[in-house]
Amino acid sequence: MSINDAPAAAARSALLELENVSRVYGEEIEVYALREVSLQILAGDFISIVGPSGSGKSTMLGLLGVLDLPTSGTIRVAGHDVSTLDDATRSRLRGDSIGFVFQQFHLIPHLTALGNVETALLYRDLKARERRDRAYAALESLGLGPRADHRPVQMSGGEQQRVALARAIVTNPLMILADEPTGALDSANAAHVLEIFKALQSPERAVVMVTHDPTVASTARRKVSMRDGRIVSDEPVVAAVS
Amino acid sequence: MSRTADLIGVAWTGLTARKVRTILIMLGPIVGVAAMVGAVGLTESAKGDLKQKLSQLGTNLIIAQAGGTFGSQNPTFPADAVHRVKALSSVTAASATTNLSEVIAVPTEGGSEFYQAFPVPVRAADDDLPNVLEVPMRDGRWLNGADTRLHTRSAVLGAGIAKQYGYLRGENRTVRLNTVNYGVVGVLGSVALDPDLDNAVFVTQWAAKHDFSTDGKPNQLYVRSKPKDTQATADAIPTAINLGGPDQVSTKVPSDVLKAASQADKTLQQTALFAGLLALAVGGLGIANVMSISVIQRSSEIGIRRAVGHSRSKIGSQFLLESLFVGVLGGILGAVLGIGIVYLVSAFADWVVVIAYQKIPIWMALALVVSIAAGLYPSIKAARLEPLETLRLG
Repeated sequence: MSINDAPAAAARSALLELENVSRVYGEEIEVYALREVSLQILAGDFISIVGPSGSGKSTMLGLLGVLDLPTSGTIRVAGHDVSTLDDATRSRLRGDSIGFVFQQFHLIPHLTALGNVETALLYRDLKARERRDRAYAALESLGLGPRADHRPVQMSGGEQQRVALARAIVTNPLMILADEPTGALDSANAAHVLEIFKALQSPERAVVMVTHDPTVASTARRKVSMRDGRIVSDEPVVAAVS
Repeated sequence: MSRTADLIGVAWTGLTARKVRTILIMLGPIVGVAAMVGAVGLTESAKGDLKQKLSQLGTNLIIAQAGGTFGSQNPTFPADAVHRVKALSSVTAASATTNLSEVIAVPTEGGSEFYQAFPVPVRAADDDLPNVLEVPMRDGRWLNGADTRLHTRSAVLGAGIAKQYGYLRGENRTVRLNTVNYGVVGVLGSVALDPDLDNAVFVTQWAAKHDFSTDGKPNQLYVRSKPKDTQATADAIPTAINLGGPDQVSTKVPSDVLKAASQADKTLQQTALFAGLLALAVGGLGIANVMSISVIQRSSEIGIRRAVGHSRSKIGSQFLLESLFVGVLGGILGAVLGIGIVYLVSAFADWVVVIAYQKIPIWMALALVVSIAAGLYPSIKAARLEPLETLRLG
């Protein structure tokens, strides 16, 4: 590679790279959930991954979130090949680099909003006071300060999803990985949450949303379409003229 | 350190969030430990009064009795038997008494015939007999050096005889021994380890020699040994006294009988202990069962924790720590409950409470081991859960 053809994208570092990644389920009958997929997620990206059911979106999400390992191919998170790491290191990498947001919020029911956000800060040698302050600040930034002591059942769906968002951002991760983040919300709350996602995107951070909702997908600036375990298109989203 | 604190906090929150469930699984160790503490406590406390008596009396009193060849009358020890016994290094004190079998004691004129038909034993005793027996005077004083020097005719009554004579506290009374009147100077307290002494009248060795022409050779020795050498001392005394000679000596440790009587019913105790162990084992199964179900119910929590970066080993440790807490708390509560039961029952049954405090930590440790063992499988299961499956991604 010569100096001259260095692409503009090289100025942005790759946070997460998939290289010829396949994920196969089953032993006797092999089912390819992903087939030789390559993808680069760069700092500053705001990506939506779309596709019909069975296209491999969920598998992709598991692999991007380092909750799963590829059958073949390489996944690098912040330069680390995740297949070579032991569970403790991989878990640490996941905790440090990725913030998850799920369709069903996935808050721990017996913990308060604050407790749920603090969960992401455990086992990090933080003092209890510092952990609480950081968690509270994250809640506060999403307008949930008064809800800190409430349990999930005492909150609306929109509030719960904002608590989940606070949990995702409290570790200041490189990438926010959302699975159908507005799927369980009414349109007003969905719009609010999408606004937050837009605001979370920054030059150092990537936001990745897996969705089949065109409205959500159109919020993103890059759209990755999947079908039958492959990426069929990966292109910038042209802003709709209103 | 702070990570351990985090782990403790997480496990504690997990337990307190489901109080009913936690108390239910804690019942296993609680009942198990309470049963064991109660079983041993109750069976021991049922004999607690005897144990208390034993500890008051001591187990180191030895009584040596002179024995003769078959048919010989009134066998005696050598006159210096006390000195010979005191030469044994394990002997801490020794005192002698001599039977005055020819002497008839008569407390009142009217009782003369009765007491000739049923004579009260009279003994000459050393000044330090009550000290060796460790029995306090019930009234007045014991015979002392002044009685010997001043040749007073003083007598001390055994507790049983004082009652039989109708002796009143501080009363000035005389007892006629054969033809000589003796003034009663005191009443010896009841001697639990040798009831014979309760039914005797005591005079000084001087009086025995002077009034009744005894040879001063004792018939019984009362010996105290160092606490741990009692049996060895009892075995050594015959040789120390007869020095290989023909004198026969028999020794006994009178507390042995009491000791045997104070033993708790071992069969009952073991049965109840076994029941406690069984409760603990069943409780362990309960913990394993409920924790396994709990891991399934909390699979979403496990998935979330994995997603925010908790490792498999942290998840496993979290659940193992929960069962450890169940074991520790259940053990403590069980011990408290068991002790409470023993106190309660003892209060109703009028027993002296005896609790084997030195064994309770062992039973609590047992409850802990059972709880941890029971939590092991669910913890491993929790650690192995695939987060992807529990989070039901879209």
